[in-house]
Amino acid sequence: MYNFVINDFDGPLDLLLHLLKQSKMDIFDINIVEITHQYIDFINKMESMNLDIASEYLVMASELIEMKSRYLLPKKEEETDEYEENPEDELKRRLLEYQIYKESTEKFKELETTRHEVYTKSPERITDLSDTKIINEGVTTYDLLEALQKVLGRLEKSKPITTKVARRELSVKDRVIRIRELLSKKKTLKFEELFEEVNREYVVVTFLSILTMARDNEIKISQKNNFGEIYLERVD
Amino acid sequence: MNLKGIIEGILFAVGDEGITLNDLIKILEKEPEEIKNTLMELKNDYESGDRGIRITFLGNSFKLTTKKEHKEFFEKLLVDTKTYTLSDAALEVLAIVAYNEPITRLKVDEIRGVNSSNMIRKLVAMNFIKECGKADTIGRPNLYKTTNDFLDYFGLATKEDLPKLIIKQEVESEDKDLYTSTYKENI
Repeated sequence: MYNFVINDFDGPLDLLLHLLKQSKMDIFDINIVEITHQYIDFINKMESMNLDIASEYLVMASELIEMKSRYLLPKKEEETDEYEENPEDELKRRLLEYQIYKESTEKFKELETTRHEVYTKSPERITDLSDTKIINEGVTTYDLLEALQKVLGRLEKSKPITTKVARRELSVKDRVIRIRELLSKKKTLKFEELFEEVNREYVVVTFLSILTMARDNEIKISQKNNFGEIYLERVD
Repeated sequence: MNLKGIIEGILFAVGDEGITLNDLIKILEKEPEEIKNTLMELKNDYESGDRGIRITFLGNSFKLTTKKEHKEFFEKLLVDTKTYTLSDAALEVLAIVAYNEPITRLKVDEIRGVNSSNMIRKLVAMNFIKECGKADTIGRPNLYKTTNDFLDYFGLATKEDLPKLIIKQEVESEDKDLYTSTYKENI
């Protein structure tokens, strides 16, 4: 099986560096055909595991395929445009540049750890009193009242809103009844169709209900191929 | 006027915000040389073995910190021993900004090969990087640079203390102009 975690890669360049390292290739001596194959393979595996693939990965895939296709086509003699960077050189340059920063993060990690070994304290709260202006003229009691009301209004707003948090209980029994209803209208259902709500409780209860119904021979579960759609069929 | 005592008090009061030499001069209204010497004296006092704190120059300002030598005892004091650290992606973005500032988000994306806008927003919120003007290119995008908090977080005094980048092999010389920035900082 696969011994990697997708989230460990910070983008297509990171993935490429990993693949190069894995197949012991040097950045200056990349076998484009081989690395393209590995890259596409990886993307396909990600897809088969139903993982979202960031568009950047696909852009890189298409660039690699383009480079690879150049190898497969017969070469025309000396038709290089001086002003255009060869895409392969550009890729090497980008990998080299990215690698420099990626490797520097190790050093930053060390610095981070060392810094965590000493402590400082928060600054003292020194409130500034010298700038307070005192206005004596033209202030009426109504102004004060207004000011007080504003303060009270603000206090009112900062109060937490009291509310009740109630949990909706969902039992396997109820869920079985609901699924039965659905199956009475349609003979077969897609497995996915039953998980329209995405919360842990709902998913677990639905899953248990399906298992229960299968055990009681109420439904038949089928799947045509690996990772394919799962169907639930009513047993009459 | 007990200058040494006052400086010590100020350093305590400002805590992890620290204070620059210039600010000390402004507050104390003394000759820069005198303040510098007193600060050095105080610094040396703290370095003696029987003191628990020291003056460190971190993120472009002077701060009181505990001593590294005593870390094992602080570790025992900690309730939660898991220290929060930055992710690889965050470190990558910070490194790219630190070595290329001022830099646009687009350039960071280019180097990393992925969109970094969320990470940049996060790092701005953490006050590790900040906007510092606009680039003279189409759309006048924001330019970013690292902050003093960034330096402090990695225990660095100034930007000169940034670790040197290890460049394995020289990229072809004609590519060199690609690295020189065309961005100008306007404040």
